Amino acid sequence: MSIHLTEEQQLIGKNAQGFAKEYLDPIVVELDHTANYPADVVKKMAEQDFMGLFLPGEYGGAEAGYVSFVEVVENLSRSCAAAASIVVNHSLAAYAINRWGTPAQKKEYLPNLASGKTLGGFAIFENGPTPGVGPDALKAEKKAEGWVLNGTKAYVRNAGKAGVYVVLACTDPAAGAKALTAFIVNGNAVGLTVGELKETMGLRGCPVADMNFENVIVAEAAVLGAVNEGPAIMAETLAVAAIAEAAQTVGIGQAAVEHAAVYSKSRVQFGRPISTLQAIQTLLAETATDCHLARLGVHHAAELLEAGEPFQVEAAMVKQFLARLHSKMLLDTVQVEGGFGYSEFMPLPRLFRDIAGTTLLDSPADYPDKTIAAALLA
Amino acid sequence: MSILTPEQKQIQQATREFVAKHIIPVAAKYDKTCDFHPAILEAARESKIFAMAVPKEYGGLGYDALTQAVVLEEWGYGCSGIGTTLAASVLSMDSVLVAGNEEQKKKFFEPMVRGEIGSFGLTEPGAGSDAGAGKTTATKEGDEYVINGTKCWITNGGFASVYVIYALTDPTKGMKGLSAFIVEKGRPGFTIGTVDHKLGIRSSNTVELLFKDVRIPASNLLGKEGEGMKIAMMTLDMARPAIAALSVGICQRALDECVKHLQQRFPDPKVQPGQTLQFKLADMRIETEAARELLHYTMRMRDAGVRYSVESAECKTYAGDMAMKITSQAVSLMGSYGYTSEISKLMRDAKIMQIYEGTNQIQRLVISRAVLAPAPAATAQKAGK
Repeated sequence: MSIHLTEEQQLIGKNAQGFAKEYLDPIVVELDHTANYPADVVKKMAEQDFMGLFLPGEYGGAEAGYVSFVEVVENLSRSCAAAASIVVNHSLAAYAINRWGTPAQKKEYLPNLASGKTLGGFAIFENGPTPGVGPDALKAEKKAEGWVLNGTKAYVRNAGKAGVYVVLACTDPAAGAKALTAFIVNGNAVGLTVGELKETMGLRGCPVADMNFENVIVAEAAVLGAVNEGPAIMAETLAVAAIAEAAQTVGIGQAAVEHAAVYSKSRVQFGRPISTLQAIQTLLAETATDCHLARLGVHHAAELLEAGEPFQVEAAMVKQFLARLHSKMLLDTVQVEGGFGYSEFMPLPRLFRDIAGTTLLDSPADYPDKTIAAALLA
Repeated sequence: MSILTPEQKQIQQATREFVAKHIIPVAAKYDKTCDFHPAILEAARESKIFAMAVPKEYGGLGYDALTQAVVLEEWGYGCSGIGTTLAASVLSMDSVLVAGNEEQKKKFFEPMVRGEIGSFGLTEPGAGSDAGAGKTTATKEGDEYVINGTKCWITNGGFASVYVIYALTDPTKGMKGLSAFIVEKGRPGFTIGTVDHKLGIRSSNTVELLFKDVRIPASNLLGKEGEGMKIAMMTLDMARPAIAALSVGICQRALDECVKHLQQRFPDPKVQPGQTLQFKLADMRIETEAARELLHYTMRMRDAGVRYSVESAECKTYAGDMAMKITSQAVSLMGSYGYTSEISKLMRDAKIMQIYEGTNQIQRLVISRAVLAPAPAATAQKAGK
């Protein structure tokens, strides 16, 4: 693996950092407070090509690859992880359509996803332990008029704002989680309703809601990949999500470490700045190290993905590493800032709430271990 | 679970009922509004909650330390924000218990028994971990003290009726010039500053207290001039296990919520969560029990009249760290549900347990100093030579 970024990748990262400082820093506090979807900022991010970074040029994408993608995600997250979440969840739908779509599907959806004219959403979770199994699992039944979808997808990010969703539905209730198929569903499909927005601890502004399907009819051509290919599509796209969310975690962690370091130099206790206390230095050193190692893991997994090599185990390892830290980066940086660090008038509480989302969300807690062990034991 | 007497068990049961009825149903609501609900106060008055730490001779219930910890755990279980409000009021009495004379005890405990709120004011913007670096002064003028300065992050500061305030009677002596005072609400010049908005324990009230030429009678001085630091340290010895108790409550709640969630998610006995999750639950249980036992042991030491400063620091540190660990495990275990539900509140609340009443770094300082100090026997021998 190479750790050095190319000139282009560095430039893209730097540009994202500049963008974040100019457009995200000024809105982040209010966004966290109101949780109102930041439509203007999303539009500006689209103008920067953030919505189509890894999509092929023939569909209007920037074709900049996945390393550039994680660079952008990290840099956006340093300022506003919620805005990065909107990009990430959009990108998962774009990834799936680009990876498994037919030429006709790609032609239909990718240009608008790449330009950001259409926002994407990726809907896999349900209220049961595994998609396809719970009482309100989304089921797809093949009828004369096409596939008829009924049921609920839970905790869909970008819900209500996305114009196109990739959803997983069960095509054979008897086979449950094995008979999952991916469908491309338009946001304005008849019978598709978005539930009440969920109150989230952090990443506020990236909408989360359940989506209810009542006799939503989609054409045969809406099947993404093959019928029953859903589990593979889900696993691979979730691995991409793991990398992107780890990049978010690194960005949030980096912002927190930098803030805590600056704070520790200005906070005087016992007659000297607390930055001179060894215990504080240890907290900062451990946090910075975790952040650095996680970044290496993110870049390595992104490089594998970009090279078209297997990347799922490495993606799971990054997720496992970060989950094992229990968001330690943020816990420790809040600790450095003590009572100030607990006050919502300071930035760390928002970072604390955001990082809980990027490290703890999006897959059952034992998913990374299962993936990694399965590879070792194969 | 620690062995409790029948009376302690009965008090525990009564508290559980109180918490189930008055705290759990409203916890999420007041977390959102960042407000303390007066109805809880009414209920607390009716249940004589604030009287539990008041000795019987002053009309209180005079619970021993262990029983108080059992009660506090249940408050933490219900909501550590509301629990913080109730606990801070109880803890405000500690300085008076430590150093108050008969008259002062009567003065302070009477409103407590009636169910009014108390508050403890030590911290200042420049004096957090370094509690001796405060700048608030109390100057003696005749038979009065005149207080000037600012206290910050004072729990219950906005609506307490009695306060224990620490101020320098001799600023030239630093922490040796610190003294403790009873200050009543409504003294001219005594006002409330900024109300803090916090990551967690949001229903508890955290404010700045501003003192501008606030006059109090000299008889409000607790102990003697210059004894403030000693009184504060003894008060904190008493207060830290209360944080441990709230923390244990948070741990138990997170564990119970995880179990409930997994039982709902895996209703089929043949399809159960894997060992990774099972073992996480086992660890949560071990850590909760260990934290509780360390707390109860510390309380038994206090009840036995044995010095317990180090154990006080230990149980607060361990329980606070475990509350943070277990609640983030819980959010992780419950995924999206955890992140969008009350479970995430537990995690936000838990973080303060590692910070207030002395950060866990300060506790580790106390503990490591004790570990590294020469053993008493060795010191005695040396002195003998």
